[in-house]
Amino acid sequence: MSGSKPDILWSPHHVDHFVICDSELSLYRIESVGSAETKAGALSLSEETAATLLAINSDTPYMKCVAWYPKHEPECLLAVGQANGRVVLTSLGQSHNTKCKDLMGKEFVPKHARQCNTLAWNPMESNWLAAGLDKHRADFSVLIWDISSKFAPEASIATEKIRLSSGDADSGLVVTKPLYELGQNDACLSLCWLPRDQKLLLAGMHRNLAIFDLRNTSQKMFVNTKAIQGVTVDPHFHDRVASFFEGQVAIWDLRKFEKPVLTLTEQPKPLTKVAWCPTRTGLLATLTRDSNIVRLYDMQHAPTPIGDETEPTIIERSVQPCESVIASFAWHTSSQNRMVAVSTNRAMTDFTVFERISLAWSSTTSLMWACGRHLYECTEEGGEGGAVDQDITTKMRQRAQSRYGHDTAQVWRNHLLAGGDDPQLKSLCILKIWSRGNRGTNSLWCILASRTLSSPPLARRRAGAVGVARTDRRMRCGSTARSGAWRCSCPAGSSAGPEIDVEPFLKSLEQEGEWERAAAVALFNLDIRRAIQILNKGASSEKGDLNLNVVAMALSGYTDEKNSLWREMCSSLRLQLNNPYLCVMFAFLTSEPGAYDAVLYESSVAVRDRVAFACMFLNDSQLPRYIEKLTNEMKEAGNLEGILLTGLTKDGVDLMESYVDRTGDVQTASFCMLKGSPGEVVKDPRVQCWIENYRNLLDAWRFWHKRAEFDIHRSKLDPSSKPLAQVFVSCNFCGKSISYSCSAMPHQGRGFSQYGVSGSPTKSKVTSCPGCRKPLPRCALCLMNMGTPVSSCPGTGKSDEKVDLSKDKKLAQFNNWFTWCHNCRHGGHAGHMLSWFRDHTECPVSACTCKCMQLDTTGNLVPSDSI
Amino acid sequence: MDLHILDHRLKVTSICKDGLVNFTHPLIKLIFLRNRTRCKFFSLTETPENYTVVLDEEGFKELPASEYLQVEGSTWLPLNVVSNGHASSSSQAVGVTKIAKSVIAPLAEQHVSVFMLSTYQTDFILVREKDLSVVVHTLEEEFNIYREVGGESVPVHSQDVHNGLQKNGKVATKPTVHPVLSPQNQFCVMSLDPDTLPAIATTLIDVLFYSSSPKEGPQPNPDLDCIKFFSFSLIDGYISLVMDTETQRQFPADLLFTSSSGELWRMVRIGGQPLGFDECGIVAQISQPLADSDISAYYISTFSFDHALVPEEDIISVIDMLQQQRLEPAC
Repeated sequence: MSGSKPDILWSPHHVDHFVICDSELSLYRIESVGSAETKAGALSLSEETAATLLAINSDTPYMKCVAWYPKHEPECLLAVGQANGRVVLTSLGQSHNTKCKDLMGKEFVPKHARQCNTLAWNPMESNWLAAGLDKHRADFSVLIWDISSKFAPEASIATEKIRLSSGDADSGLVVTKPLYELGQNDACLSLCWLPRDQKLLLAGMHRNLAIFDLRNTSQKMFVNTKAIQGVTVDPHFHDRVASFFEGQVAIWDLRKFEKPVLTLTEQPKPLTKVAWCPTRTGLLATLTRDSNIVRLYDMQHAPTPIGDETEPTIIERSVQPCESVIASFAWHTSSQNRMVAVSTNRAMTDFTVFERISLAWSSTTSLMWACGRHLYECTEEGGEGGAVDQDITTKMRQRAQSRYGHDTAQVWRNHLLAGGDDPQLKSLCILKIWSRGNRGTNSLWCILASRTLSSPPLARRRAGAVGVARTDRRMRCGSTARSGAWRCSCPAGSSAGPEIDVEPFLKSLEQEGEWERAAAVALFNLDIRRAIQILNKGASSEKGDLNLNVVAMALSGYTDEKNSLWREMCSSLRLQLNNPYLCVMFAFLTSEPGAYDAVLYESSVAVRDRVAFACMFLNDSQLPRYIEKLTNEMKEAGNLEGILLTGLTKDGVDLMESYVDRTGDVQTASFCMLKGSPGEVVKDPRVQCWIENYRNLLDAWRFWHKRAEFDIHRSKLDPSSKPLAQVFVSCNFCGKSISYSCSAMPHQGRGFSQYGVSGSPTKSKVTSCPGCRKPLPRCALCLMNMGTPVSSCPGTGKSDEKVDLSKDKKLAQFNNWFTWCHNCRHGGHAGHMLSWFRDHTECPVSACTCKCMQLDTTGNLVPSDSI
Repeated sequence: MDLHILDHRLKVTSICKDGLVNFTHPLIKLIFLRNRTRCKFFSLTETPENYTVVLDEEGFKELPASEYLQVEGSTWLPLNVVSNGHASSSSQAVGVTKIAKSVIAPLAEQHVSVFMLSTYQTDFILVREKDLSVVVHTLEEEFNIYREVGGESVPVHSQDVHNGLQKNGKVATKPTVHPVLSPQNQFCVMSLDPDTLPAIATTLIDVLFYSSSPKEGPQPNPDLDCIKFFSFSLIDGYISLVMDTETQRQFPADLLFTSSSGELWRMVRIGGQPLGFDECGIVAQISQPLADSDISAYYISTFSFDHALVPEEDIISVIDMLQQQRLEPAC
């Protein structure tokens, strides 16, 4: 403001003109670089813009404040407030306007000289200029001058003379009689006209904010406060005013002027400027002394004095227009979020505050973001395939749509529902069958643990899971092999009981075309002949690989000799085989007895096969070590195949946790863990979190039916998750819950029609209260009494008793359900209500104007899945 | 009307003319180096007798103890009347006159000694801290009283400050009517943009510290035709200057602010001998008649005497009035 610190003002009408004022006034035009680069002396303001100096005015010394005339004509008229309180009208650049010439140099002089702190043109009555002055013991501090006397063409010279006669008549340009004098014996530090009424002036006086009403100057509204500097009205919200004191900004609401509605966090240094952004609502920029950043406060949801005490949500951020210390800045009047900042050394920067980006993912992978006044939507390119398809939400959504996880009868089919392309899911699903078959989730571990009981630490760890402890080595071995490889491999022909025949399993593998695996399984069962046979079969099959014959050939050359050429070549060349099963076959054949690491740690071989192998060939001390090591590996990798080892226990949750961390697939985690033993696993907060997230996800996709199915499925497996009844229907007459009494009644068959009775007369009608037998309320549309048959007793429904919701087993069609508006309490049959609100917005009850359906936020949404 | 008890704790001191050399450093610091001191209230008035320095405790720390420095023992609190726009703007009389009836007279009746300090911007009424309860009790009917604490105004009521003392007890004795005299020089009251203070620094130093240089020495006019009187105050960032027209010529004309009408003031000095600080009613006996005649005035108390400034066109009537008053109680 004063000599050393430049200030900046945008022209109110020329979007490309601004004035820098320090000891003199300099008018600049701002242009894009393209057009300006030819001109010499243009100052670069940013990468795109440069400023050209148009005019300099140094006629007015001791400038304290400047205000730009708000009207179009004369365009470049400025009022300058000086240190001695005089207000001078001046202009910049050539003016062809005679009105402007008349006004030029006109001075407005207060009775007692003191600093002019602030100036404000009345935006409506544009010949009114308010000046705020320092304190004088006898004088007024707010003077409103009328510049118009000469302005109006019909204003006669005579009146002019009268006006001027009071002042120095010699210059003829000095006015000493203000239109209004306000604020006696006070100081005025800041001023602004209120847009509410052209005669209201808000002034930051010494220690109070005052609103002067020029219609009645003897009255004013005021509030005592320190925050009296830089009063400024929010251009978008005319009741909101900002003012500051030292480092603190106070936000006022003029409708409740007693205290600030908000004070912003105090800055360590005193503020020098506070300005509302004219192009965006609720954005306030503040500048502190000796700072090179402009602090922005985004007040989209600032509190209003009326009503709620909600926490104000203000987003504070800082922008740095330039490296050097900023002396002042000014928002551009029309360009969005644009400002010019001027540094103390008069370097100028054209700067646009980048709008915050708010980003939103939809639940169906499309992305949308808003920036400033633009809304961008990101759409998937190419639709199918590509990176987007890899996203887990897309997968989960597709899987949910294909009812993944819901095939409880044939669990192994779920992996087909999931798309069938994920080996981990496949192994998991296979495992589920297995676990079901054993009537428990920990069966594998029961047996494994029994097999490894001799290993105390592991055994102890699994102690809870140990069902039957067997000591007989043979039995153990056999059962282990069976447990690990019921479907996978090798009833140990050599060591274990002959009761397990590997042949059916080999057959099924052959059918699936897994020749290599089948051959490996046969080999591990020490049946080379069968293995070769399988390989030959594979080579001769339709899509068979002829190389299998070569492998079979190599296999047939197996020799026991330690140092044979065969052994040497196989052990080195096996690594070049692509198929892991072929690879491990040779590894097995060439390895020393007891050293099977090449087989056991071949990660491409299915875990179940490796475990089966381990069970067959590792001794009692090696096996638990291997199992433990593999378990930890699986847990860390989040490999679902490892569920075989952990079971659906706490360890399984750990494993699943790393799987979810890796993939985000809460869907699989939820379905899988629901089968865990209810006590510990399902209660695990992680599991609950996955389940809740999956439910939310289904809701977000509007897969409400899927979610309901999931909930039903869940409540069967985990009865504790069943939500308590939230809605009770009680009889108007007796007050008893109608459902409660129903459940106590003998079972009512489906034979009940809405009004009919069947069976003995002692049984009450569906449409009457089972307690008092009074009729239930009528449907507002069909005027029939409502009533639905109720299932006999919810407690008797066994979890394994499959309830197929889509079939007619339901006791009452949804259309017959009770439904009512929570607001007006009218209602009727759900089906009737639905069809009514398809065409109407108001309640069907005549004379009720309740807009029931609009009160239901989700009522108008259509589920995106079908039952 | 609001009465503000300002957040300054003031000391009233006097520097003997001979001892000025010991104090030039702190005084220059207090006057010119505003950023180097935390003093917010500083007033220096040169009279023929001595320099009266009124300053807050922060400023007082700057002054070295010396035999040339006399300090009035009590702490003084400045009061300030804020009209808040309710005062009728019809009355043109300002300053002490305006508050004479509402503040000065009631305080005199309650035997509260006041120390007046008028500036270009406003009038400060200094009262002793120990008298505050009496002041509040006396004035709360007329005023909304606020005490300023850390920049915020806090309303004050007499029950908040009761310390048992309801009245000073002593019945105000008939005040001594002091002799008045009126020197011939014309005074002006001015202000200055603090930013331009450096521009007049040399002149100001010259006027303050070298005015009684020997060249003018042998002119003490026995009739007190002209009196050496210069006052500078820097209070809350506002500068106020009182000087005679002779001195004013030494300053660049365009920097000092004064009224556009260029009004000049004549001085009335009260007291034949040093007045002391305990006597009350002195301000009242001057301001009352002025208020009755609606004559505006500045009033500056110093360590020894009180000084009132009245518009030069009114000086004759004021002197007459005061002489008259002096005769009356004698009758």
